[in-house]
Amino acid sequence: MSKETEKLLQMANNDLRDLDLYIQELSAFLPLAICAVNPFGLLITINSAFQDLTGYKEAEAIGKRMEKMFANGKEFRDLISSESVLKKKKQKRKMILLVKSGREIPVSMSISARRDENGEFIGYFIALLDIEDFEKLRESLEKKVKERTGDLERKTEELRESRVALMNVLEDVENARMLAEEEKNKTMAIITNFSDGLLFFDFENKLSLINSQAKSFFNIKSSKLIGKRLSEFSKKSALDPLVDIIKNSKNSRIKEVYREELNLKKNVFFEVSTIFLKRDKKKIGSLIIIHNVSREKVVERLKTEFVSLSAHQLRTPLSAIKWTLRMLLDGDLGKVNPDQKEYIEKTYKSNERMIALVNDLLNVTRIEEGRYLYRKTTTEIQPLIEFVISSLRDKIKKQKIKLKFIKPKKKVSKIKVDVEKVRMAIYNIINNAISYTPHGGKVDVSLMGEKDGVRVEVSDNGIGIPKDQQKRVFSKFFRAGNAVREETTGTGLGLYITKNIIEAHNGKVWFDSKEGKGTTFYFTIPFTTNH
Amino acid sequence: MAKKILLIEDEQIIVDLLQRKLTEEGYNVALAKDGEEGIKAMKAEKPDLILLDIVMPKMGGLEVMEEMQKNPDLKRIPVIIVSNSGQPVELDRAKKLGAKDWLIKTEFDPQEVIEKVVNQIGK
Repeated sequence: MSKETEKLLQMANNDLRDLDLYIQELSAFLPLAICAVNPFGLLITINSAFQDLTGYKEAEAIGKRMEKMFANGKEFRDLISSESVLKKKKQKRKMILLVKSGREIPVSMSISARRDENGEFIGYFIALLDIEDFEKLRESLEKKVKERTGDLERKTEELRESRVALMNVLEDVENARMLAEEEKNKTMAIITNFSDGLLFFDFENKLSLINSQAKSFFNIKSSKLIGKRLSEFSKKSALDPLVDIIKNSKNSRIKEVYREELNLKKNVFFEVSTIFLKRDKKKIGSLIIIHNVSREKVVERLKTEFVSLSAHQLRTPLSAIKWTLRMLLDGDLGKVNPDQKEYIEKTYKSNERMIALVNDLLNVTRIEEGRYLYRKTTTEIQPLIEFVISSLRDKIKKQKIKLKFIKPKKKVSKIKVDVEKVRMAIYNIINNAISYTPHGGKVDVSLMGEKDGVRVEVSDNGIGIPKDQQKRVFSKFFRAGNAVREETTGTGLGLYITKNIIEAHNGKVWFDSKEGKGTTFYFTIPFTTNH
Repeated sequence: MAKKILLIEDEQIIVDLLQRKLTEEGYNVALAKDGEEGIKAMKAEKPDLILLDIVMPKMGGLEVMEEMQKNPDLKRIPVIIVSNSGQPVELDRAKKLGAKDWLIKTEFDPQEVIEKVVNQIGK
């Protein structure tokens, strides 16, 4: 070997050593675990990253079978025994690395065949990339996605369920709505076709409903009045006649139903009832019911006419008979023998009963008269009482009753009443006191002005009303047992009429009584029976 | 001189009975069978008292009283209403028109009519 050659060789050796060092440094520096394996799968070289990853020192690793380094070693053996690695340049495979500590680490393995300068197969290069963190990340991501997907699926299911539930609810609501609608239509049909006129004012006094009958009663064509306040109805408005009645009803003390009669035109009469509607004690408005009573009025008038006619037609001959018989009995028309006299007396009594019957007929109409008040005038009550007392003075004298009228010390304010009816009421009470008080008895009539009205008391020391019969005193055709014995001609209608009249004036009538001791009747009439 | 009573009444039997009774009591009785006749009779006869029915043909008792109100001479003649019905409204009106007294035929006897007459004008 020449010196030249030796020098060159030396130089080449140096270069090689340098290269080897370089490679060693590089492989030590690389964070990727790299190893070389001979054709039989035995480890021949590893770098430091390989030692770090596997935990094996170089001395422990070299000569180790590579497939033993994997938990799935069979896959590695299959891979290298197949020829695919030889044919392809580089292959990548996911493997489970079995490190010294026994832990398994997922790795991505790159493998490629090594060849010498002659192209002869001499083994493999293997690089192992620790993908444990990636795997963990991936797994956790996957888990999260799965969880989220589960959540979403659950939520979706829940939503679907609630949607179904909601649809059911909606269906129920719709059914209920349809039922309500049907009910409303039914109610509206009833209201529209009702034979009475109906108007409804809401709590603000606005007209919110008027049915067709009410429209036809008042000859209203349009619906312009709907939504208008009571106070907005002009004097020209067709509903004007109602305005006063509704106002009266509001001022009245009656809490439930207020009734007033309305004479719209000749022979047309309406009974107007005002009902204050409340729901849970809250006022929701007032309902006005207009009932056509024209026919009833005609019947009533005919009845009154009939009774008046019968009273006159029957009473004329009855009084002629009465007077004739009386004069016969008194001997004014010549002497009658005792036998004849007895017959005439019996006939006279029969005639008296007939007269009482005719009077009953009159009283029956007076009952109905007590129900409605026609002509209310503002008047003092004292002259009414005096009138009644003076109209009874013959009877008082006949029965030798000591009647005292105790007048109020201070003048009593006027009241607005139907004079004729109130007089009838007072008459019935005083007349009863006189009728059912024995001869020589005492009747005191007192008039008092009170804070909100007048009060009249009529007390007697007469026969009184038996306790067990006191409840029925104001009922129609009632007469107490002792009263029937005392006076045979009473009709049992007087106090019924009186109660009707007093209550029609928003007043009250009551009594205290003790059988055998006497009775006191009281009644009151408020000052403002109507505005 | 006997006092004169004008009886205005359409029911013949009542007229007969009252005329007989009043005459027996010593009164002079003039008769009229309706309101119109009654007005004429009271002008001609100038009675001391009038017994007046309410319901009569031609002119009723209340109208008769209205007529009397217009004439000062007739106005001062006392009137006792002799009525068939005791309707308060009628009695009230009669009282307002100046009736001194009234009686309802079915509730009184002829003797009581005499008492009322005596009460007003004496024997």
